Amino acid sequence: MEKDFLESRLNINRRRFLSRLSLGIGSAALGSLLIPDLFSGKGDEAEADFIAGIPNFAPKAKRVIYLFQDGAPSQLESFDYKPKLRQMMGQELPPSVRGNQILTGMTAKQASFPLVGSFYDFKQYGESRAWISDLFPHIGKIADDICIIRSMNTDAINHDPALTFFQTGAQQGNRPSMGSWVSYGLGSENKNLPAFTVLLSKGKGNGQGVYSKLWSNGFLDSIHQGVQFSSGEDPILYLNDPEGLNRHERRKMLDNLAALNDINYKEFGDPEINTKIQQYEMAYRMQTAVPEIMDVSKESDDIVKMYGPECLVPGTYAANCLLARKLSENGVRFVQLYHQGWDQHNNLPQEMAGQAKDVDQASAALVTDLKQRGLLDETLVIWGGEFGRTNYSQGKLDVANYGRDHHPRCFSVWMAGGGIKPGMVYGESDEFGYNIIKDPVHVHDFHATILNQLGIDHKKLTFKSQGRRYRLTDVAGNVVKGIIT
Amino acid sequence: MKSSHKGFADAALFALNVFILVLLMAGDSLVVPQWLQPAGRMHPLVLHFPIVILMLAMLLEYFRFRPEFVGEKLYQSFTDYLLVLGALFASVTVIMGLLLSHEAGYEGSNLQWHKWFGVGVAFVGYGVYLIRNRERYTATIAKTGAIVTVVCLIMAGHFGGNITHGDDFVFAPVMDNSKKLVPINEALVYRDVIAPIFEAKCQNCHNADKMKGGLSLSDQASILKGGKKGKLFVAGNPQMSLLLERIHLPEPEKKHMPPIGKPQLTEEEQLLLYFWVKNNADFKMKVIDLPATDSLRIIASSFLKPAESSEETYDFSAASEDDIKKLNNNYRVVYPLAAESPALAVNIYNKSTFNIKALEELSPISKQVVSLDLNKMPVKDADLKAIAKLPNLRRLVLNFSDVTGKGLQELSGLKYLRSLSLSGVKLTVADIKQLAAIKSLAELAVWDTGLKPADFKSMQASNKQLKVLTGFKDDGKPVKLTNPQLKNTALIFSESYALLLTNPIKGVDIRYTTDGTAPDSNRSALYKPGTVLTQSTVIKARAFKPGWIGSDTVQFNVYKCRYTPDSMMFITHPDDKYKGDGAKTIIDKDLGGTSFGNGKWLGSQKDLEMMMWFNKPIEMHSLELNTMRNIGSQIFLAAGVEVWGGPDKDHLKLLSILKTAAPLKNDPFGLVPLTCQLKTAQTVSCIKLVAKPLKTVPDWHPAKGKPGWVFIDEVFIN
Repeated sequence: MEKDFLESRLNINRRRFLSRLSLGIGSAALGSLLIPDLFSGKGDEAEADFIAGIPNFAPKAKRVIYLFQDGAPSQLESFDYKPKLRQMMGQELPPSVRGNQILTGMTAKQASFPLVGSFYDFKQYGESRAWISDLFPHIGKIADDICIIRSMNTDAINHDPALTFFQTGAQQGNRPSMGSWVSYGLGSENKNLPAFTVLLSKGKGNGQGVYSKLWSNGFLDSIHQGVQFSSGEDPILYLNDPEGLNRHERRKMLDNLAALNDINYKEFGDPEINTKIQQYEMAYRMQTAVPEIMDVSKESDDIVKMYGPECLVPGTYAANCLLARKLSENGVRFVQLYHQGWDQHNNLPQEMAGQAKDVDQASAALVTDLKQRGLLDETLVIWGGEFGRTNYSQGKLDVANYGRDHHPRCFSVWMAGGGIKPGMVYGESDEFGYNIIKDPVHVHDFHATILNQLGIDHKKLTFKSQGRRYRLTDVAGNVVKGIIT
Repeated sequence: MKSSHKGFADAALFALNVFILVLLMAGDSLVVPQWLQPAGRMHPLVLHFPIVILMLAMLLEYFRFRPEFVGEKLYQSFTDYLLVLGALFASVTVIMGLLLSHEAGYEGSNLQWHKWFGVGVAFVGYGVYLIRNRERYTATIAKTGAIVTVVCLIMAGHFGGNITHGDDFVFAPVMDNSKKLVPINEALVYRDVIAPIFEAKCQNCHNADKMKGGLSLSDQASILKGGKKGKLFVAGNPQMSLLLERIHLPEPEKKHMPPIGKPQLTEEEQLLLYFWVKNNADFKMKVIDLPATDSLRIIASSFLKPAESSEETYDFSAASEDDIKKLNNNYRVVYPLAAESPALAVNIYNKSTFNIKALEELSPISKQVVSLDLNKMPVKDADLKAIAKLPNLRRLVLNFSDVTGKGLQELSGLKYLRSLSLSGVKLTVADIKQLAAIKSLAELAVWDTGLKPADFKSMQASNKQLKVLTGFKDDGKPVKLTNPQLKNTALIFSESYALLLTNPIKGVDIRYTTDGTAPDSNRSALYKPGTVLTQSTVIKARAFKPGWIGSDTVQFNVYKCRYTPDSMMFITHPDDKYKGDGAKTIIDKDLGGTSFGNGKWLGSQKDLEMMMWFNKPIEMHSLELNTMRNIGSQIFLAAGVEVWGGPDKDHLKLLSILKTAAPLKNDPFGLVPLTCQLKTAQTVSCIKLVAKPLKTVPDWHPAKGKPGWVFIDEVFIN
């Protein structure tokens, strides 16, 4: 703050001063070795490779819809077919397979680790012949539109750090969310809606909470934080005018308030004041834009049949998928859904069936719906949880009842559209579904790839905070070239 | 240096130059014995000496007639020594080079130029050394000799560099290397897919200049000719082809190609070479002439794609930043596709403010707009004229706009249009014929237009790259309706209740009962807005619609409550865990929902007795308790309820007794209102309520023998 203050007065900072000085004393050649863009004609921007709001290169995807399956759905009952586990049902997990994997406190003390195969059968779908479990027949139907990554892996083994890692690129939770980075990097397509929105729903399965820190802007400007749309009369809290205040009055009030804020800005130069003025203005425009988006009464019967009739019941996953399509269609850069209830430590066959029923049809419908509007090419849809689940049973193993503990080493997600190869299965796990044997994709790689599809070089999208530059991918991450068209 | 040394050097120099002449004259008939080959291979090492030494010597030679240097003995003799040393190294280097050039694989024009310039360096250098101390040697000759030597040096070095590093090695990083875009429908399999692989991974060693193994891969004739080991491939038979044998050998094998340490072929490239040979190694075949399911076509298309979709280059210049800034407003966003790209994308929002001006104003950037999103905007046919003026448009979204099929003619002039979205626009087969003129079209989204995939057959026949997205098609399987919803915000009323039942799906009939029976599609009452209830009611409702499966039955309990006690207290207290917010919990008009542990329910395993007082006497007809039944959690209906009333607590009369039937094993979970009807209306100021739990849980229950729980969340007095 104090620094901004000084900067606005002097309009010069140490780095600019030094880079000019270095030119002056003839060490320009050295300077250009240290700062490759020094002679690129970008002038003062030499200090940042990145111009906020403009992609580095032509993007394949303009928007993202992230269908986060909170609680971590089992890969072994969804997208990673392991017949071997059924054959070896009840036998002990070989120590050589487990290796040095640390377990959670929930199963670490378990006397035995009996392998358990999927309660549900798998079928092959589409021309890609991808194996998908019977719990997800609708997703099976779009197998040729999606790319299943069976070799995801993460660093964290518990929900909160793993979820935070997926959302922010760090486990601790003071960093900007991926959606905030995208909003910062690409700016808004529609000035009447926030660039980053969040939708929550809850299944009946054992759940884990989601918290607003997951869609926080961290150290980025607060205009980039995720805006939560809730179900019910007031989709966005405090957006509606109080009773008795008409739109004209509101306009007058905002104009006067902006004038006052502007006086303050001129005096103190705090950029947050400008942000605030902009946010009031956007809220004013949102007052007309949001009701139009929330109105599902004009959706045709075909849409209801595609997403399932639940899509008209506010607050359900299906309704959120439909809403996500509408938001995305209206230029919202990043729509983040969370569906809670995927934490099946026990009673997995039954609970997972319920969860799958919640999401299967609507997830598939969203992809189909974007495609039939010609929007799938420029919209990246992502489906997945924060980690996978163990191949052995947590608690008592029964033919029709078992549980699975957390497993960070290997799990599955899928993506569709946005320049991702359709009809593809990428990566491979061993026959126990425990370790990755081909093409591992780490969370950092996953982030780098998503940014790449949006036209952003993940190494260039940086923000300086507290003396160092931060990236979504920290100091790691490689674009997964194999899944890109 | 002693003069004897110098004499030796002179003699050696003469001998070496004669040897060079011999080697040159021997030409191709010379065979280099194997033991001499290492000497030849030292050429790239030794060549640096003559360059540096001769350069320096020629610099000194150039200035030697300057008056201030003429008398300098050191200067003159040093130059002499330097020259002889340089000439010696030059001759040795040339001899080594000539030996090396006779090894296999060195051919071509670069080599010839290099050879002759190199020889030139040696001879001119030697010549200068020989004549520099003659009397007729003047400044002009010295300068000319120095310049010629240096030029030869530079040229020999340049062509030598080309041989080892390839042409344009030095300037490649700053030259424009961007791949030319090849549209898939023009691409030839050989020229645009196979040749670039050879060029990138093979031609460093197998080119016309440097034919390792006697093989060059730089043109069709030499590819067909093959190398030392014979033909490169048997067309149509990859298994028998040398090319594929070499690339598929395991990497440690010496004969594996490309050699270890050089950039390897990717899996995709190997597959492409395999399928190319399998498809008869045709040099003229077009990619799109292959059947759509052919492996070569699929892989080749994806191989060509990166070039197509990575940074498209545009032949127009960028628009002025001021124009872009001016055109941006709250409902129209104009933004560059990427940093340093002249291309712009335009999105327009907000139906109510849209008009043709929003498009017409784009004229200053008409060349730069490549993407225009008009999703759900009321764009009319007339507005398409303004869109037709954006000549470089690649992508246009007109989903659910007001255009009609007739207007599409306007778009036929957009010769770069690749993707067009018309979903939700009503179209006929005749309408889309107008789009056939747009040859560049690759994707057409036409869901909900009234057209079927078959309607596009002829269009796709003339435009093979066209992908038509017709989207979801109702398979006719009936879908189950969602449950009716109660829109009223309150469930408790004092006089009358205007029932609001809705279903979000259009055209749904909601039928309901009030007698506890399940509603059906014809006998039960059809809900109409304006239905008013005057009594506490249990409503069971279902939604129906022709062609759909009826919804589940849902139950809504609404409660009438005319009188609310002014104060109340417990006589016996509920269980500590389920005491809610004290006695007032059951008159706070806050229903407890389905979770008994949420603090809105009172629970007890003993008789629950409580007193209620009214400041003004009331005329009581009935008292209703809302209770829970949840047999799994040992919660049963109250076995009995007693209602006592009177003017004060000391003069109470038993006004009503209610007994419930014994519980059954399969009694469902539910919220059950228990109504105690008074025989005649009574005027009371004080009421005592006694709710008696089930004394002993029946034998079929796991908790048999223990007392049951009773749970109450609200009391309604009428």
